[in-house]
Amino acid sequence: MIELHRVSKVFSVGPVRVPALSDVSFRVGKGEFVVLKGASGAGKTTLLRLLYREELPTEGEIEVLDYDVPALRRRAVAELRRSIGIVFQDAKLLPGRTVYENVAFVLRVLGTPRREITGRAFDALRAVGMSSRAQAYPAQLSQGEAQRAALARAIARKPLLLLADEPTGNLDEAMAGEVLDVVKDIWTGGTTVLFATHQAGLATVLRQRTVTLEAGRVIKDEG
Amino acid sequence: MFGFLLGEALRDLRRAGRVAVSAILLIALSLAALGGFWLLSSNLDQAVALWRERVRIIVYLKREPADSDALVERVRAMPGVGSARYVGKAEAMGTLRQVLGKDAAVADSLPSNPLPASLEITPESGATTPEAARDLVARLTQLPETEEVAGGTEWIERLGQGQHLLTVIGLGLGAVLALAAVLTVTTATTLVLHARRQELEIMRLVGAPEHVVRGPLLLQGMLQGLLGATCAIWVLIGCFALLAPRLEPLVSETLGLPRLTFLKPANVVALMLAGTLLGGFGGWLARGRREP
Repeated sequence: MIELHRVSKVFSVGPVRVPALSDVSFRVGKGEFVVLKGASGAGKTTLLRLLYREELPTEGEIEVLDYDVPALRRRAVAELRRSIGIVFQDAKLLPGRTVYENVAFVLRVLGTPRREITGRAFDALRAVGMSSRAQAYPAQLSQGEAQRAALARAIARKPLLLLADEPTGNLDEAMAGEVLDVVKDIWTGGTTVLFATHQAGLATVLRQRTVTLEAGRVIKDEG
Repeated sequence: MFGFLLGEALRDLRRAGRVAVSAILLIALSLAALGGFWLLSSNLDQAVALWRERVRIIVYLKREPADSDALVERVRAMPGVGSARYVGKAEAMGTLRQVLGKDAAVADSLPSNPLPASLEITPESGATTPEAARDLVARLTQLPETEEVAGGTEWIERLGQGQHLLTVIGLGLGAVLALAAVLTVTTATTLVLHARRQELEIMRLVGAPEHVVRGPLLLQGMLQGLLGATCAIWVLIGCFALLAPRLEPLVSETLGLPRLTFLKPANVVALMLAGTLLGGFGGWLARGRREP
């Protein structure tokens, strides 16, 4: 499903070279739930961005869903991303659209037939417990609800892989628990999950395989 | 999907607000200028064509020939001559009397008929260019019977040059205004890009096809162009309806053109197409960042 082999990423800021990832190698099998743990600045977000080709590695090989990611042409990048659901620490909901419209928008731009959009959007909202808030605007949601709406948007198109970039980072314990429950439900439904977090306690609670990053290097892969 | 793209493009157009209105007005102005010069040029072109058909060369003869028919036949056989007609001294005097009208009696006071006999030559249709007319005049001057040759196509060519100049000025002015219009459309689209940056980010992250991401931007540019072109056409129609009846008597008197004509449907379509392409080009120029 995911395979990284000796991946490095260096950002150049003028003459200064800032290494973000160094010699990272690991693989995630189909149907796995893997926690990517590390402090802020450890390289978690950079690693996820490499997986959905928002960044290119400086060195190394990356394979996601059988795609050779660094070698992808633009059209193939879009194809890859259609199979990946992504959620972020900030939910990235469109402020001028309701929760339902946020989910439907994604289905619409991906060419889902009009007659299927409402059904699929509500299926996704039900799956995250947000169907009763479908007509609310993002500004009217709690942070936990906003994250669940973002998860609904990510799973509405039934992705094979879910990349979660600290979706509980801004949430209190109760809300984080709700979001985690939803993510686990999605995983139980057959979606592979790579869940990045800086919260060490959360990794323990999840009791899943955990890859630990420190200063851009994998220092532990356990569970 | 096209309905979705069009809906998004219309939403973008509303978002661009006053800048989009400025772009539409600039496109209207540039195409109205271009269309106006085109209209003038096409009417002048018609006048030139009309006058080319009416070109006459008059060969004044030293004396009345003994055998005018033989002379006419000889001249008709010359290259570039379409037709030739002999006008005797008496016929010339008759024409003068007609021209003088109530003052025709003046001609009676002349001791003798001073008007020369002449040949009225109509060049072949292909011989109305300046070079061909000059060659024909040279050949007619060399006839032993010729006293003087009058007429030619120089002034018609000057009219034609004026028409070309008008076209060039129109194209130049249109091009400058069109450039300003494209830049304004680009600005309007850039504003839209800024307003839509979150949507575009989501579209890219979920793997929306490129035509879905960029289509609305291109379409809203094209819509601005089409609206601008439509405004330009209506401005031209309005100005033509207002000015043509007032100008026609003057044009008829000076250029011999019985009536002014509006642009042909094909020209109107070309202007609409040009506007749409201009707007689309502006929208395309403002395209956002691409994937790494």
